[in-house]
Order: sequence, then C-alpha cells, then structure tokens
Amino acid sequence: MTKSSLLSVTVASFALALSIPAVGASAQETIELTLWSRADASGPLRPGNILEGANRLNAQLEMDGADYRVAITVNEQPDQGGYDSDAERLLRAYAIGEGPDIFHAAHEWICAFAEPGYLFDLTDFTNENPQFFGDIFPSLWKSTECVGRRFAVPQDAEARMFFFNKGLMRAAGFSDEEIESLDERVLAGEVTLDGIADIAQQIVENTDAEYGILHRPSRGPDYLMIFNQYGSSFVDPETGKLLLEESKIADAYGWFERNVQNGVTPSNNTSMDWSFIRDQFYRDNNAAMWMYGVWDLGSNAFPRGVPSDKEGFFELFGWTAAPAPVEGGRPGSLTHPIVYGVGAGEHQEIAATIVGYASDAELNTNHAVTTTHIGIKQSQLEDPRYAAEWSLALATELLEFSHYMPNHPDFGALNQIIYEALQGVETGQISAAEAAAYVLDEADARIPDSIVMN
Amino acid sequence: MGAVREEATVRTQVRKAMKARERTNMAIFLGPTILIVSFFFVVPVIVDIAISFTDLGRELRITEITTKNYERTFTRDRQLPGVIARTAFYVGATLLIFNTTFGLLLALTTTAIPRTSGTFFRAVWLLPRMSPSVVYAILWTWSIHGGDTSLVNQFLINVFGFEEAIDLIQLEPMWVIIFANGFIGASFAMIILTSAIRSIPEHLYHAARCDGAGSLAVTWHITLMHLRWPLTYIFIWQTLSLLTSFEYILLITGGGPFRSTTVFAIFIFQRAFGSAGQYAYGAALAFFLIVPGVILALLLWRISKMGTLLQRPRIEVQ
Repeated sequence: MTKSSLLSVTVASFALALSIPAVGASAQETIELTLWSRADASGPLRPGNILEGANRLNAQLEMDGADYRVAITVNEQPDQGGYDSDAERLLRAYAIGEGPDIFHAAHEWICAFAEPGYLFDLTDFTNENPQFFGDIFPSLWKSTECVGRRFAVPQDAEARMFFFNKGLMRAAGFSDEEIESLDERVLAGEVTLDGIADIAQQIVENTDAEYGILHRPSRGPDYLMIFNQYGSSFVDPETGKLLLEESKIADAYGWFERNVQNGVTPSNNTSMDWSFIRDQFYRDNNAAMWMYGVWDLGSNAFPRGVPSDKEGFFELFGWTAAPAPVEGGRPGSLTHPIVYGVGAGEHQEIAATIVGYASDAELNTNHAVTTTHIGIKQSQLEDPRYAAEWSLALATELLEFSHYMPNHPDFGALNQIIYEALQGVETGQISAAEAAAYVLDEADARIPDSIVMN
Repeated sequence: MGAVREEATVRTQVRKAMKARERTNMAIFLGPTILIVSFFFVVPVIVDIAISFTDLGRELRITEITTKNYERTFTRDRQLPGVIARTAFYVGATLLIFNTTFGLLLALTTTAIPRTSGTFFRAVWLLPRMSPSVVYAILWTWSIHGGDTSLVNQFLINVFGFEEAIDLIQLEPMWVIIFANGFIGASFAMIILTSAIRSIPEHLYHAARCDGAGSLAVTWHITLMHLRWPLTYIFIWQTLSLLTSFEYILLITGGGPFRSTTVFAIFIFQRAFGSAGQYAYGAALAFFLIVPGVILALLLWRISKMGTLLQRPRIEVQ
C-alpha cells in the first residue's frame, strides 16, 4: 500500500470511529468491530471497501432509526511473507481468541480457519441476502467452500499466465507471425511446456538477455500451474483428502529441472528478490518470460514504465496460458481469489452485512480497475470503467480453463513442501524424482492424516 | 557451673544466628539466580517435555496425551539424519575455526601489539557482536548476494577480474553461515582470552626472555599454558551455544537453499512453527536438543576436568 492510501485507510477508520458516537447523543450503542488487513499496494481497497461498507451500513441504520452503529478498527500489518504467513499468524490469533471480526485471506486457507470453528458459516446468510451476494459469479463461490459450505465471500480474482517479452523474441530471430500467434498456438495445444521453454532458451542463447523463464521466489500459486498441467490436482475426489501422485509430481519437477539445466531458469531463482525479478522482466529486458498473475500489471509493471495502454503493452509484451505438457493437450491457468472471512461471534451477522456492502459492484470495480484484478460480479462487466480496462477483459478469457488451488486446511503446509523441493531441484541438490519422493516423505512426516498417496 | 551453661547457651544462640544469617545471605545472593534459572531454564524444559506428550497443534488445543510425536521422530521423519550431520559439521567447523582458534589468534595478536592499536582492533572485532542481529544479517546479505552490485562481487569483478558475479548463498551456504556466526563467536573468545593473557604475571615473560626463549617459545610455554582453563570454558560454552544457534541462520539463509543450512535448531523451528503449526512435534524434537545438550555439557566438564578449576584454592593468601 502506498503511504497515501495507508494514511487514508487509517484516517478513514479514525473518522468512522469518531463520527459514530456523535451521530446520536441519545443512548445509541456503538458496536466495535476489528478488521485485519495487510498493507499492500496490490489491494489498498480490500480494507478500504470494508470501511466504506461500514459507512453505508451506518447510513442505512440511521435511515432505519436503529439504536446502534458500527465502528471499525483496522489492524493493518506490513507484508511479512505473503498470504501464507498472514494466514498462519491469523490462525494463531484465532486460537487464542484474538481473531478479527473481518479479514481477507488467500482462498486456499479458508478451510484451515473453518475446520476449528473460527468462522461464521456464511452459506445461509449469503443465500438469504441476494441483494448483496446474488450477482457473484457462481464459479467463484467454489473458492470459498469447505465440505460444501461457504465460509467466505470472494473479494477478487485474477488469472495466472506466462508473460513474454516480444522485443527479445524479435531480437532472437522469431518472426512477427510466430510472436503474435504464440498465445493462439498455446491455446490450440501446438506449443507445449517444453516448447515454450525452448523459445526462452533460444532467447537466452541468441540475445543479451540473461534469463529465460523466471518464477516467483516464494511459496505461492504460480508454479502450481505446472503441476496442474502435468496432471496433479492435489485432491482425491473420493476422500476429499490431499492427493499426491509421485510420477505426476516428478514429471512437473522434471520441467523445472530441464529449465535449469538448459540455462532457461537460473538455479538461484528461489532466492532472488521480488523486485529484482520484476526489474529484469519489465524494466531491463533481461528476462524472456515471467510466470505470474495479471494483477502484477497494475501494481508492478505499469509503475516500472511498461505502457498501460493496450496497443503499447502488446507492442512490447504478450501473455499466454500455461501450455499443455504434450501436443494437443489443454492449456491451463490458475486463478487465486482473495476472500473475506468473518469471525464467528456475537456480531457475526453485522460483520457479514458490512462485507455485503463492501462487495457492492461499484466498490469492487474501484478495486479491480485500480489494481488490475478481476471483479466478482456479473454486473461489473457492464461498468464502462471495467470494460475500459483491457487487461481484465482479456485475462477473464483465461478463466475458461483455470484451476483453483485446493481448499484444504493443510494445503498451505503441502505447498510449503512442494516449494522446498522446487528449490532443491533448481539448486541442483536433488533430482526431479528425488523431489517427488521428498514431497511424499515430508507430507507423510508433517501432515500424515491429510494425504493419500499413489 | 551456671556460667558454663550460660556460655553454652550464648554459643548456641550465636551459632543459630550465624546459621540464620547464612541462610539470609544465601537467599539474597543466590535467590535471584535460582529464580531466573528456574523460570527461564528449568520450567521451559518441563513445559517442553509436557507438551511433547500431547497433540498441541495449530488450534492450540490438547485433546490427547500421546507418544506419537516420538514415534514420528523415529519412524517417519527421514530428514533427521541429514539435519544431525549438518549440525555436527556446522558446530565443529565454527567452533574449531572461529570460536576457539581465530579468537585465540585475535587475543594473541592484539595483546602483542601496542595497547592502543590492540584495543582498536578488538573494538573492530566486537562490532558484529554489538550490531543488532537483523542489521548484521542484512549487511551479510548485501555483501554476498548474487547480483553484481554486492560487495564481494564488486571486488571479484573489479579487482580480481571475474567475468561473472557469484552467488555465495547458492555455492557455499554452509560456509556462509559458519563465517557469519564465526565472526561473532570469535569476539567472545577474544575478550576472555585477552583478559586471561593480561593476568599472566609479567615476570614469567621476563624470566623466559632471560633464559633465551624466543617469541614462539614464550607464546607456547607461557601464554598458551595459562590459557588452558579459559579455552576449556570457551569450548564448552560455545559448543552448547552453537548447538542452539538459530537467529543469524534464519535471517541470512532461512535454513536453505533447500535444506543445506537447516541445522537442528532451525529444523525444530520449521517443524513447530513452519507451515502446519505442530507445536507438540516441535517440542518432541526440542527434547532431543535439550538432553544431548545437558549430556554433552556434563561430558565435556568431566573430560576437561573443569571441576578442578572451581576447587577451593589449596593455599589462601591473607
């Protein structure tokens, strides 16, 4: 979050808290609620919309002549290791009864909160309040479910893809036709994962660019696209447990292993700095491809000088879904919705109502268009501001074949193991086959009750 | 007869008063230490052992008393042998190279040169210990990161003509943490040994010089002979300290890349607080650090005959 937006959230929360008692000098109760949020440039309106939601609720309460108002205290923390670390800290807070009334989290963590009973089961509430939630894309609700019940409200979505540098492709000798048709050829199953790695290798070998394909340097979603593409869904449909299939996992690690051996991905990718990676790709023309999500454009690409207009962007860059591992296969993408959770407790319905107001199409579009995130409601598509944001419309096309990460209480722990082994493979300490065995061994040691192995 | 009895009574009263005073003195002088040791050393050990027999996890609830954490350690956790081997290498190398040998070298050299220069160099070597750990770790990261702007790479490229930057955390992560911890550990030995060297009676050196001893002979036969006890103490203390060393490794490498710097203390942290929040299992693993720690301390005490250092002096100077 920028300094100004951080300030505005803080000021807003204070103003809200201060204004409420002044509304009615009579015996009017103020219900204090807490909101946990991360100070994050990629979504300052995640807390901001909740505050606006509370404002709107208070206005409605005033119109209704209700004898209470709400005040929100924002507990905003700096980013300390991404959504995984945030969730782990919040889980500890809930375990000692100090959890917030409202928070936002990466969707795959919701079941870890729901299972011990920390969350308000929103299934009935969301069904009974269609004025707030009726228009939300049905497919997005799946990201909030645990054992068939809704425990969160979608806040945004996005799509993960391979960004590529067209200038470097040209410099490496690819024709304009080859460059402009790359995304189509991926969608048609003509370019495979090894095929796209080969393009990146040619760029490294024939241009001054140092890096072929870069990926995130921490635990998270993007590299899981590759595992999805090689057939790992990580969920056993019969038992609902996490599923580990050694040969499919080994195949996915094999792709990363070959990339390092061929000089496509640097062996120290996992210990690189985020900002260094983005500079290499967006600013310095030193990386051919970057495996990440569309929201990166608004938060990191445009501020680094990448043209924000459609023509200017596609003159220099392009993006494509993750290719299939074999010719003729289906491309893939991954969407990673952020969701609002509501803590179980005395004021859970009031907190859920605030989330309802915060999920208003206009407010959500404010977030979507300023941070290049995909919206949550059908009606947002009709908003001219949303329609004008070309990256969102195009990224939405990828949702057709997007996967979710599994909503399972222990998936965060499993993903940590997957990431550790990825680091082992890329740094050359273990082979792809050993990495797959490591994932199975470690899952057996750390989360033995949650996994099924094949 | 009466006078004798009276005297006996007075004696008894005096003895009682002395005993009471002894007890009060003991409470005053040892009380705070006993309390601190109990609260911060004994109680945590008891709590750790108690937790290790439960299923305390992410939800901070205990639902059963169990031995499954210990079973898991022996039957499921295949990382342990590697972690133990890495810990042994890390402790051994840091201890022998830096915490004793290099510390001794610093003490010898800084006491052999003029006092002002010696004090200056010792102050320089104290800087790593005085810096906040986060600052120290950030300085290391800036100095050795894989980009061509790091301090090491600027030297290698601009002074030594290297063509490409190197990433020491990728190439030699274990040696990075050995050096990072060793620079801090060396100052501990340096301070203690400097003080020990200064307390060696001056006349012994003069006598040796009169007998024709050279610098090496003086160092070997006089200085080093007098440093036996301090060195033994440093050896024991630093072994135990390194076994639990944690913060600089976590800050500089996080135990990686992959598992290459995951020593036992980091391993416990990762298992207990990492992704799954398995506190009971972490407590069981910590038990295996506590017990060998205590055994090792007693063993080293015994082998090095440290007890004789603490014996009452055979003569008492009035």
